[in-house]
Amino acid sequence: MRKRLGIISFFVVIFITFIVVWGYSYQQGQEEAYIPLIETPTGNFIPSESGAFNRFDASGLDYLNMPVDENHQRTLETYYDNRAFEGAPPSIPHPVAEERSLGGNTCIQCHQNGGFVEKFNAYAPVTPHPEMINCRQCHVTKNTNSTFTELASAASMETGFARSTPPKVGEGVNNAMPGSPPMMPHRLHMRENCISCHAGPSAPKEIRVTHPERINCRQCHLPIKATQSTMDASTFLRQFDELNEK
Amino acid sequence: MAMLSAMTAAASMFPGIIFASEQEKGIPEDANLDWKKGPCRFCGVGCGILVGTEKGKAVAVKGDPNCAVNKGLLCVKGYHQIMCLQSKDRLEYALVKKNGKYVQTPISEALDIVANKMKETIASHGKDSVAMYTSGQSTIPEGYVASKLMKGAIGTNNLDCNARLCMASAVTGFLTSFGADEPMGCYEDIDYADYFVTWGNNMAEMHPVLFSRMLEQKANRGAKIIDFATRTTRSSAASDRSILFEPQTDLALANAICYEIIKNGWMNRSFVEKHCNFSKGLTNIGYGLEDNFEFTDKPQKIDFEAYKEFLKDYSPEAVSKYSKVSVKDIKFLAWVYGNPNNKVVSYWCMGMNQHTRGTWINNLVYNIHLLTGKISQPGNGPFSLTGQPSACGTAREVGTFTHKLPKGVVMNKENRELAAKIWKVPVENIPSKPTYHATEMFRAVDRGDIKFIWTQATNPLVSLPKTGRYRPAMQKKSCFVVVSDVFPTPTSDVADVILPASWHIEKGGLYGNSERRTQHWDKMIEGPGETMPDAWMFIEVAKRMGYGDLFPYSKENHVEEIYNEYKQFHEGAKHEMAPLEVLKKESGVIWPYVNGKSTQWRFNAEYDPACSNGEKFHFYGKPDGRAVIWQRPFEEAPEKPDQEYPFWLNTGRVVEHWHTGSMTRRIPVLHQAMPNAYIEFHPDDAKALSIRNGENIKVTSRRGSCVLPASINERGLPTKGQVFVPFFDENMLINDVTLDAFCPISKEPDYKKCAVKVEKA
Repeated sequence: MRKRLGIISFFVVIFITFIVVWGYSYQQGQEEAYIPLIETPTGNFIPSESGAFNRFDASGLDYLNMPVDENHQRTLETYYDNRAFEGAPPSIPHPVAEERSLGGNTCIQCHQNGGFVEKFNAYAPVTPHPEMINCRQCHVTKNTNSTFTELASAASMETGFARSTPPKVGEGVNNAMPGSPPMMPHRLHMRENCISCHAGPSAPKEIRVTHPERINCRQCHLPIKATQSTMDASTFLRQFDELNEK
Repeated sequence: MAMLSAMTAAASMFPGIIFASEQEKGIPEDANLDWKKGPCRFCGVGCGILVGTEKGKAVAVKGDPNCAVNKGLLCVKGYHQIMCLQSKDRLEYALVKKNGKYVQTPISEALDIVANKMKETIASHGKDSVAMYTSGQSTIPEGYVASKLMKGAIGTNNLDCNARLCMASAVTGFLTSFGADEPMGCYEDIDYADYFVTWGNNMAEMHPVLFSRMLEQKANRGAKIIDFATRTTRSSAASDRSILFEPQTDLALANAICYEIIKNGWMNRSFVEKHCNFSKGLTNIGYGLEDNFEFTDKPQKIDFEAYKEFLKDYSPEAVSKYSKVSVKDIKFLAWVYGNPNNKVVSYWCMGMNQHTRGTWINNLVYNIHLLTGKISQPGNGPFSLTGQPSACGTAREVGTFTHKLPKGVVMNKENRELAAKIWKVPVENIPSKPTYHATEMFRAVDRGDIKFIWTQATNPLVSLPKTGRYRPAMQKKSCFVVVSDVFPTPTSDVADVILPASWHIEKGGLYGNSERRTQHWDKMIEGPGETMPDAWMFIEVAKRMGYGDLFPYSKENHVEEIYNEYKQFHEGAKHEMAPLEVLKKESGVIWPYVNGKSTQWRFNAEYDPACSNGEKFHFYGKPDGRAVIWQRPFEEAPEKPDQEYPFWLNTGRVVEHWHTGSMTRRIPVLHQAMPNAYIEFHPDDAKALSIRNGENIKVTSRRGSCVLPASINERGLPTKGQVFVPFFDENMLINDVTLDAFCPISKEPDYKKCAVKVEKA
């Protein structure tokens, strides 16, 4: 008998729960009785503008209080070592775990937020675009030091490719006036998150920013040339002189 | 070196933003720069700048670490501002139009022509046939002599300014709700608030220094930014929550927030009972689309029950249907304001002011803060931001509007008597009836009622709505046009006389920013050619017209003499202005400046010595000491998208350019980053119309059209069914397309909403 009572009360409890849940969801249904006009927004993002803000929030990295590790910092020289030219995707300078993998989480686990890697005695560079996970579409490993045409003298990358000079950096180079905030000497495509390269211990020392907490970067720093414009971007002057008789 | 130690001192005073020392590093050691303080030339934030001069030329700018506004930080416009002075097409000499060509003329001769023309026009067509259109960029002395000349000496109220296009709704909002213009709080609210709600305001681009202060609080204290707008922008990207609404429905949403606040018992009953009244005004008040439109509101007191009854139409569920904001988001916003533990600041600028119901929406946001009692306290309050450096200081405080006097309005006899006494003119000189507000002034030019107009530091033929009507109007022979400016603009192209003006650091002056801060600067460099300070041009013309004895100022010292005369208007604890000695020393001082102290929070007895009712708060702007909670309904926009014109057109600005770009486009850094305007689409709309980025698009309204390159997923993202165009580009005049409908109470046009169609050009 007792056992039966237990089973009955168990079902009663389940039944009451059902009534409550059903009642609640019915009420919820009543409240939203109209047809909601809210459409699921598509493409509701601004890729070229939101980079720094998003990453600053999402990573929760305390860039301001990150120590500068002088013994393990990159320089611009080493930064360009594994890039064919300014803006080219860097090649992967270390062995990869699995040849068949896209990259994805394997790469992201170190390159999303960075950090010191004992094995390579270096800080992992932070990617500006962790949302793109087919890493090896653009980033390839370097499996040989030789080149195709002169296999014998293969020590360097000298292939005849005219390597463009990367933009100069340093005090007064990209400033319009003494002391004014430097302009951005490079394009921003795929590199909208400024702090990934300009802050933290993996940032090349020449381009490390002193104020990574100011994440509205483009309040003060503008690209030297508008990248998307199809119009003449030389100095703005009106054709006023035509009307002028001096 | 002294500079450096001053900065270190400042750094210990204002933790957080300190930037100027950083900049110091970029300046070569051997540079022997002389640094002088002043306000920035551009927006209404009113950052303090230090300008470095060398051999009589301005060569560098840095943020002023002593200025409480920006604490050493500037934006890209501010840092590069002096570069426009090097532009080759600077107006250096007076130009007089002879046979369709501009002929260089000695400035004294040009001023003779202006004075004679003004005198002749008055003699043959009456006082009201001459008009002056000044600016929120005019300095306090410039606005003051313009008002004294037009209203006191000549005796016409034909004086208005471009601040009508940006701040008029804020003014009428303050006057109707509180009876006293300008914000009660100050920027320091940012350091205390838990929530920042920005209403239709892209602060990351338009008020970047303040936004950086907000971001700093977000990072350090976890303050939250809520972006409440019709377009996704940089501010949305940086905010904690971005809520998008359908244009014009902000009226209903504000009421819905009040509905929820009352429903949930979040109303601060004792505050409302002690300090507030309820009122309603007329409804269906029109849009001012026809010439000579007139409207006077008839306020009528109501009780709380009637107000509650009115709010019943604005339940979140009902409003959600047409505002396209989810019920959840409306309730969330109501909670943000309603929760007694949240300190909330609301910020807004043109989204609310450039609105055919601009006064109403200002009132409605005040309602939210009054109902919850979150006002006039550190970290709590509504804050109306301005767009021009002296929209507050000059346009609103000196009163360069048709209905205004330096203190009060022309309709008020006592105010007229005070003005007549200080100006030393017979009181009958000052007419008691306001004449033309900005839009109507240019309509009067078109009709031929105004035969002479003088514009100063403004570019109406780019900035007015529906320029397609006003450009031909100003070209008509019936009106003589005088333009004083620093650079040639589309407005100077139609001038009969162009007067070369000094740029701000080439003359001394005073500005007043959004937070009631008066800022003084001294002349730093000599202007080129025969450039002249605008105030001195007015004085020279006044002298030539025979009013010399009313303007007994000296050329060297006129700024100080005029300020000291003007200061008399605002004597008293409610609006006392700081004395010149203090202004010269400090990087701006907030008025009321009483007993050597700035009043940071007005109407709060703890901070404001003008409070006299013995309570914690005293809204002394109103005779009964109570603020007004207004019953203002939702009304539709005058022109909505339809089958023929299916898109909303929204216009605005970008971080690189300031207003019509006559200065910023001459700064290579800014021009090269943003060389031309564009038209923004929602990606879905672009896809439906198969429009690609950069393709030329013709945007057409019932008034005109304009061709611009398309921009998809770049700087900003309008909601579906909306396009956005920045208005800085004089080669792509979007204001040919906009509608000149305005708020009937403030007479401020709505640049944010009209119906357009788009096609590939």
